[in-house]
Amino acid sequence: MANFYEPATPSCHVTVIDDGSSIAREVIAQLYSAKHCDVATCSLAEFPNKPIRNNSIVCIVAAGDIGSDSLSRIREFIPSKTIKSIVITDNPILFERLGMLASDALLWPLASGLLQQRLLYLQQLQVAQDQIDGLRQSLAWHKARVDREHQLVEHIFQNALSRNYLEYAHVHTYLTPVSKFNGDLCLIAPGPLGNIYMLMADFTGHGLAPATGALPLSQAFFAMSDRGVSVAEMVTEFNYRMSRLLPDDMFCAAILLELSANGERVTYWNGGMPAALLFNEHGEILKRLSPAHMALGVVDDHEFDSRVATFRAPRGSSIALFTDGVTELLGHQHKFLGSEALEMLLSRYPRNEDFASLVDELERFRGETPLHDDLSLAILSCQPTGLGEVKPEPEQFGLPFIFESVLQPEHLMTIDPVAHILSALSQLPHLRRHRTTVYLFLAEAFNNALEHGLLELDSSMKQDPEGFAEYYRLRLERLHGLQQGEIRIRVHFEPSSKQLTVSVTDSGKGTADVAALAKYTEKSHGRGLELLRQMTTDLSWDAATRTVSFKYLL
Amino acid sequence: MPLHRQFSNDGKELIIAIKGKFDFGLVQEFRQAYSNVGDQQPTVFIDLRETEYLDSSALGMLLNMRKSLGKSVKSIHIINCRPEVRSILDISRFDKLFVIE
Repeated sequence: MANFYEPATPSCHVTVIDDGSSIAREVIAQLYSAKHCDVATCSLAEFPNKPIRNNSIVCIVAAGDIGSDSLSRIREFIPSKTIKSIVITDNPILFERLGMLASDALLWPLASGLLQQRLLYLQQLQVAQDQIDGLRQSLAWHKARVDREHQLVEHIFQNALSRNYLEYAHVHTYLTPVSKFNGDLCLIAPGPLGNIYMLMADFTGHGLAPATGALPLSQAFFAMSDRGVSVAEMVTEFNYRMSRLLPDDMFCAAILLELSANGERVTYWNGGMPAALLFNEHGEILKRLSPAHMALGVVDDHEFDSRVATFRAPRGSSIALFTDGVTELLGHQHKFLGSEALEMLLSRYPRNEDFASLVDELERFRGETPLHDDLSLAILSCQPTGLGEVKPEPEQFGLPFIFESVLQPEHLMTIDPVAHILSALSQLPHLRRHRTTVYLFLAEAFNNALEHGLLELDSSMKQDPEGFAEYYRLRLERLHGLQQGEIRIRVHFEPSSKQLTVSVTDSGKGTADVAALAKYTEKSHGRGLELLRQMTTDLSWDAATRTVSFKYLL
Repeated sequence: MPLHRQFSNDGKELIIAIKGKFDFGLVQEFRQAYSNVGDQQPTVFIDLRETEYLDSSALGMLLNMRKSLGKSVKSIHIINCRPEVRSILDISRFDKLFVIE
């Protein structure tokens, strides 16, 4: 790229405006004899209608009295700043009046060499101005480009964070970035069990660069909140992503917190964030959720410590999460706010409805002082979340069907038939919601047929922990030795009555204890049948066909 | 990993999380998960947030755990149950033996 500041070439284009005077002739003669000077002329009568070279300096010679018409044409022309002009006159009045308008003015007669010197100076000025114009245009172009890119990125951020549940009624937030893009992140998302997750994160630095880290972090956060993943697993995934993504000198302090649906149980992981504060409605600080770990993105997976801490939040208490931008808020008296002052503010404004006053105090403290770090404060009140479980999909019962599978020893040995049947049945939207229950009774009926019918195991073995393990060891052993026998599973669905009818038949000889439906005991056997009895209807055992059957209403 | 075991920062809580299917397939792993609780008398949390399926063998395993841990733990909580899982535990009257949240 050309250096804008290299010295201008001495070559100089001059257009002399010739008023026909002897001074003009003299000037033209001087210029012709000068080095590196390219001279053109234009008579005063033609000026300024005759085109003038673009980068030419206009040298206006006006001797004596040039008349008001010429004067006004000159006065109109000179202010067009793109062309440098120099006035040469022997008339002190013209010298004074035109000299104020033109780039330069010389009073005739001139000292030797003065004219060339001044022209050279004007030439250099012209070049410098052209360069500045060029720079200005290039800056304007870059600014337009950056603005456009910021718009795009902003749009992406808006979309990425559109799921952020900041309007959740039990959370109040005060989030103020230094620039358009926030290096702090405050994310809130409901889990599937009525629980709520909150993430407060602070990337190194502020502005666009750290904010970009917010994209993958928020994507992971929302996806994992939907699945209802545990805090330990979430932070492990966050660290995995951050340690691969962020440059070595950048990391992300974060506190992740989960509040259970009943608003009592809090689980958190704090890596490098200021201790969040648990306080009650009287403003007493009950607990500090201090950092126990390194920030995200600092250590590798195998060094990462995902251990969480839990506690029970008293009814009516709240948790304040904040970034160091809050405690290091610079006040109008050039003092930091500090954590003690923050705690004092919280104790003065502990209730939910005090949040606006708390923010007012912070803003009063800051006054007109510009922010030097992103600032984020969020207060979550610990009460039943009121979020409820995720709404089930609309009831659509679709087509009736019959499913039947006859399982031979090779199937029984190599696959988990119940899991297979269930994954097929779960494809039907109306059954999906009931998959846990359907699994349970299919598993109970199937295991009863296999373990007692075909494998002739004795459930009384399961009474003590050792026998329990032995029972399942024996199950595996006998299953591998199974030569013959079959289990037939039949599932019939009738959408009009929303009823599933299940029958499971085995070809074995063992005693099925279906007939002797045990009452509830604390023993670990017999419970399967008790569950079946309670969760289904029309449970029956046909000894002749060795078939257990029952119905389940969706 | 269908079973995840972790103590809390202060060692006072043991969290055992089971993903997907909770049945006799985990019998050894599950026993191992609570075999070493230390002498701090921790509280045990069985986290079922990602447990989709369970059967009576899982219930048997939970009861065995309760029997074998006895007084070496403060209490056993079963937490984050999906509604269907919750109703299975309720039918089996597990609320009398465990703290279910």
